[in-house]
Amino acid sequence: MSGDIACQGCDLLVNVGALRDGESASCPRCGSPLTRLRADAYSRVLAYGSAALILLVLANSYSFLSFSASGLESVITLRETPKALWDYGMPEVALLIAAFIIVIPAVILVLLVTLCIPLHYGRYRPWLVPVAKGIFLGQGWAMVEVFIIGVIVSLVKIASMATVVLGISFWAYAAFTICFTLALASLDRYQCWERIEQLGATANAR
Amino acid sequence: MPGETAASRNLASCHLCCKLAPTDQHHCPRCGAAMHSRKSDSIQRTLALLITACVLYIPANLYPIMFTDQLGSSEASTILGGVVLLIKLGSIPVALVIFIFSVMVPLGKLMAMFYLVWTVEKHSPLGPRQRTVMYHVTEFVGKWSMVDVFVVAILAALVHLGGLLVIRPGIAALSFAGVVIVTMIAAESFDSRLIWDQMEDTDSDNTTS
Repeated sequence: MSGDIACQGCDLLVNVGALRDGESASCPRCGSPLTRLRADAYSRVLAYGSAALILLVLANSYSFLSFSASGLESVITLRETPKALWDYGMPEVALLIAAFIIVIPAVILVLLVTLCIPLHYGRYRPWLVPVAKGIFLGQGWAMVEVFIIGVIVSLVKIASMATVVLGISFWAYAAFTICFTLALASLDRYQCWERIEQLGATANAR
Repeated sequence: MPGETAASRNLASCHLCCKLAPTDQHHCPRCGAAMHSRKSDSIQRTLALLITACVLYIPANLYPIMFTDQLGSSEASTILGGVVLLIKLGSIPVALVIFIFSVMVPLGKLMAMFYLVWTVEKHSPLGPRQRTVMYHVTEFVGKWSMVDVFVVAILAALVHLGGLLVIRPGIAALSFAGVVIVTMIAAESFDSRLIWDQMEDTDSDNTTS
């Protein structure tokens, strides 16, 4: 059984055998990626993940963008971005945006850190399984990189109308986007679950 | 033993944790998620969601996504109208970004998904490998259409300078967000393994690795 992976793209059973550090495997039939082994995966996730958490707190503590023309000025924070849609009578869209750009990424980051500390030190914890499930269910719905592109497009659209100033929070969010993406990319689904199972088996044997 | 699938050995793989388990198990022995050899009612669900997305796509393009109130006069702009306006103003790169993410990606995605559902149990000019790549690309680009909704949210929050200049969101933002989310769920409910299933009996000789 060990080493056999069913390709999620075409269901072919592939025996990946023993991968060396840094090696990745993809399906020979449909080309979908299967797994990638990195010896330092969990310390990478921890490093990027904790950096991203700090940056997200910073991004929520300062002004995000300011816009001024003819002596009038308006300043927004990151949290106020979805709030305008709520005030204009679209609470559904406002809640979705808040979830996609702040709430889901924040929850995933907290889960990533709680998952990878025990995985890094090789300790089994009973909550490893639900935490990992949360990460893999939620990761497709974090849209931080899409939001950053949205901010850049908005800036170019209104740059000719008035003066736009990028706040500290904007730069923090941009850096957060990079760290968040790298943290998620460092976590391999197959390897992560194999490790959880292996730690669970040794904990039960003891 | 090349060309052997999990299903042919009566195994199913968990969609959440990749664990292989016998097909008679209803829940994954490792993570407890519901187990299916193939996603249940994949084609019906995907088709239903695609039709929903098409219906939502009509108001998303007909109604204004944004209003610009400048010195007492109000101007409404639709998604396509916004692109045309940007070209007239000379911001070609931004017009291109909006056009790709808000027009080409959602339309291309809908067409690609309809094509995949249509050809799933047939032979088609595109081989199964190309169709699997097509599916992965569709899955990947899905969330990028949200760019326009984010732009409206940011502009509506940022641009409110009293009577001088105010930007308000239009109802199309709601239906367009709906299109994006429904097509994301449609892509998630499609099972690319179905493309390969009918290949099993016809050609098991040219799939050796």
